Amino acid sequence: MQVTSGLTLLVNGLTLAFALSFLIILLWYDARKEVTQFFAVFLFLVLLWNLGSFLAQTLFLVRGAGASVRLPLIMLEFGFTGSSIALYALTASLVKMYSRQFRILLLAALIILFSYRVVIFAAGAPDPFIIDVDGSLSLQSRTPLLLFYLLFDGAALYLLWRYQRKIRLRVLKFGLVLFIGGQSIGFLNPELDTFLISTVVGAVATLIISAGIFQQEIFRPLAERKSQVEAVRNVIASIASQNAVDSILELLVRQSAELIGAEGAAIFLLEDDGLSLKTTYELINDRLGTRLPIGEGVAGTVVQTGKLIQLDDYAREWKGSHEFAYASEFFGAVICAPLVAGGDPIGALMVVASRHDRLFDTEDANLLQLLAAQAAVAITQSRLFAGQTELNMQIEQSRNQLETVLVSTDSPVIAIDREFKLIFANPAAASLVGMSKTDSGTAIVDLLPASAFPDNLRKAFREIRKRRSFTYEAILGSRVYLCHVAGLGRPKMQGWVAVLNDITQLKELDRLKSEMVRMTSHDLKNPLQAAMANVDLLHEDIYETGSDDVRQSIDTIDRQLQRMNRIIRGILDLERLRDGVLALELCPPARIISSAVYEMREFAHEQNVTIDYLAADDLPLISCDVQQLERAIVNLIENAIKFTPTGGKVSVAAERDNDEVVFSVTDTGVGIAPELHERIFDRFYRGKQRGVEHVSGSGLGLSLVKAVVANHQGKITLESEIGIGTRFFIRIPGV
Amino acid sequence: MKVMIVDDEAAIREALGRKLLRDGFDVVLCKDGLEGLRSFHVERPDLVILDIIMPEGMDGLTVCRRIREIADTPILMLSANAITEDDIIDGLNAGADEYLTKPVRLNEFVARVQALLRRSSMANIETEQRYDDGYLSVDLHRRHVHVNGKKVHLTPTEFKLLAVLLENSGRVVNQRDLLENVWGREYIDDVYYPRVYISQLRRKIERDPANPLYILTEHRIGYRFEKQTHGTQSLI
Repeated sequence: MQVTSGLTLLVNGLTLAFALSFLIILLWYDARKEVTQFFAVFLFLVLLWNLGSFLAQTLFLVRGAGASVRLPLIMLEFGFTGSSIALYALTASLVKMYSRQFRILLLAALIILFSYRVVIFAAGAPDPFIIDVDGSLSLQSRTPLLLFYLLFDGAALYLLWRYQRKIRLRVLKFGLVLFIGGQSIGFLNPELDTFLISTVVGAVATLIISAGIFQQEIFRPLAERKSQVEAVRNVIASIASQNAVDSILELLVRQSAELIGAEGAAIFLLEDDGLSLKTTYELINDRLGTRLPIGEGVAGTVVQTGKLIQLDDYAREWKGSHEFAYASEFFGAVICAPLVAGGDPIGALMVVASRHDRLFDTEDANLLQLLAAQAAVAITQSRLFAGQTELNMQIEQSRNQLETVLVSTDSPVIAIDREFKLIFANPAAASLVGMSKTDSGTAIVDLLPASAFPDNLRKAFREIRKRRSFTYEAILGSRVYLCHVAGLGRPKMQGWVAVLNDITQLKELDRLKSEMVRMTSHDLKNPLQAAMANVDLLHEDIYETGSDDVRQSIDTIDRQLQRMNRIIRGILDLERLRDGVLALELCPPARIISSAVYEMREFAHEQNVTIDYLAADDLPLISCDVQQLERAIVNLIENAIKFTPTGGKVSVAAERDNDEVVFSVTDTGVGIAPELHERIFDRFYRGKQRGVEHVSGSGLGLSLVKAVVANHQGKITLESEIGIGTRFFIRIPGV
Repeated sequence: MKVMIVDDEAAIREALGRKLLRDGFDVVLCKDGLEGLRSFHVERPDLVILDIIMPEGMDGLTVCRRIREIADTPILMLSANAITEDDIIDGLNAGADEYLTKPVRLNEFVARVQALLRRSSMANIETEQRYDDGYLSVDLHRRHVHVNGKKVHLTPTEFKLLAVLLENSGRVVNQRDLLENVWGREYIDDVYYPRVYISQLRRKIERDPANPLYILTEHRIGYRFEKQTHGTQSLI
């Protein structure tokens, strides 16, 4: 018996020494960890137990039976019972089921235990442990200790069973169960003399527990960190080989799930104002692509708060809305990490374990966060890349479109660079001058005849700089082209592009039209001249001597001939104005209105309309074609008289407005309806206004005025009120 | 005073002729250019009225040039054809002194005829003034103009213009004064006359009409005759 006692003592000593060394390493590694602290307490109490047992037996061996072994026995008792409590505490800390009150509770339990011992001692009650005469240690009065044992070991066992998924190491679980089992052996009948076995089993269990904790707290994290680094490296490598966002996402969910050991994973991305489920792994993805408002569901909350959410039991812990309808039924542990790029959330990465699968620990959460960070970077990058690709595609597309337009148009298009070398010529241009593609880079002057360029190059460049474009007539072979040149590239000009429109036919038509006008006017003017000359002769012959009827007839013929003359002159004037050639000279505006009014005074008299004019004193000189401008004012006056009823008044004025001279012709006539204000300046437009049907005219008057004013860089406007009158304004810049 | 009218339109020819007869002129009527030229040699009129477009044979411009080759007789062009100022200038360049567009009232027509005749007669009685710088010499009294030693023919209007500029040499003569003094009061608004005649004159007397030395343009005001003191022969 003593031999076995000695052997067990040795085993106890060694195992506890090991356990102690593990504890020292653990404390050195991280003394603040609660598991370590509880383990330290636990180990201390087990040591107390063993030490008590050891001391009691040693004393007995040394001094023989009857020696005072009371103190060691008290130590034994205290250690035995205390370790039950500590075991419970350790288990609770391992499954992370404790709160602040929990510590106080533990402390209270220890104090109660201690006070109980003191009470027993004071009351002189017999010790629960005794040493027999043969030296064997046994538990005599079991009831109070059993109570402690049942309470705490039972609780520890319950926790182990209830949260068995939280302790991943089997060895740890085994150690804990073994310890509880070992302690229970101690409660067997003292006659079986098994307490020593209980002590040995307890010591071995403690060693197993310490090894387990050592592995859980030190080895596994180290190993996992290594595998995390490996995993992240793999993820980065695989992401780097992908470009499309979709394939990156798929890769990410799969890798995340595999690395963390989750059963499913999902990625949500922020789009516009909501989250969209983008990819899933091993999850029912019937909601792929549907919207999840920010702040709803686990993912929505994560995006809103920017903080990771870790749940051990989804159904029990998650009180918000669900992104997956079946989540409550199937989801167990869940971790969801925000995807953050540049400080802004862009989505969420979620891994899920099923209800009866493992739980996730802090390391898993850390790993997920690491992956999420990588994912965010990858997604952002691939989005940028996709944007770039899209842009390139659009550029390419619009380039193609432009090229198609340029190639298919009949109008020649030629582009040259700043050194006047050919950059581009569409087929129409190429065939026009016999260019080929190889001519690109050739100086444009070598490709086109001199007649194709503007006469005044300096002026052309100035115009392009000022107005961005310049138009001139280019002659190529027998054809005439209207060449529209514009700068290429902005803001820095890189060259010029010219678009040519064949106007040969238009020019020919225009020439024919001019020719016809010329012929017609000649053919009309000769008879007119003959008629007028004869009216003049007739006037001299019989106007004085003839009857009233004769005089009236002569007057009428004369007036009609004059009218015809005015119409022909109007057509010819307009034809002349189209050339835009002005005989500019400096002229006082007053002279223009005075001679215009002078010319029209007779007509006004005939129509019984009074006419007056007023020129301001401070008028600047204007540079104008006096004849043209006078014609314009005469036309306005003539119109005003025509549309003014008998007894009305026409006023002509010239005033100064800053640097401009404003001519105005005001009448008290029928007025012009607002909707006609634009149209009256059209060639051959005749007002169809009520009450003026009797008024005759060529319909050329105002279009001529408008052309004259435009030739003078002036402006023409009007104000009119039906039944009250009309006022025309002509603004001509002063010198 | 004898006035010759060349116009293919009988009605116009006769009406104008009647008016001139009535106002005391002798009138010669011709129906086309060729007849006009022939009559010019025979009748030696004091003034010619020319239509420009005549369907048969010679047109007015050609007739005008032919007459100018042999005489300084004042010529009045009467055309239905003038659309742009260029048409008028073409006519004046051919050597016409005056350009009227149809239709013209008879009173105005007669006034112009009279002014033209007055102008040509005035050109004959000028001062004794002479100008000679070795290159250009002008004898206003005898109506002789020599350029580089060669005699140059000037039309009455050209001569009158040169005379007015010469009399005011060194001073700017503005458009209106020029019109009034050379052509007459009724021409005051025919601003294109001086321009056309100045360029004609330059072509006849300047060495390089594009860079004139004698007749200088004062932009938008008028013209100025500048005497050349040391002659321009040395420049040749």
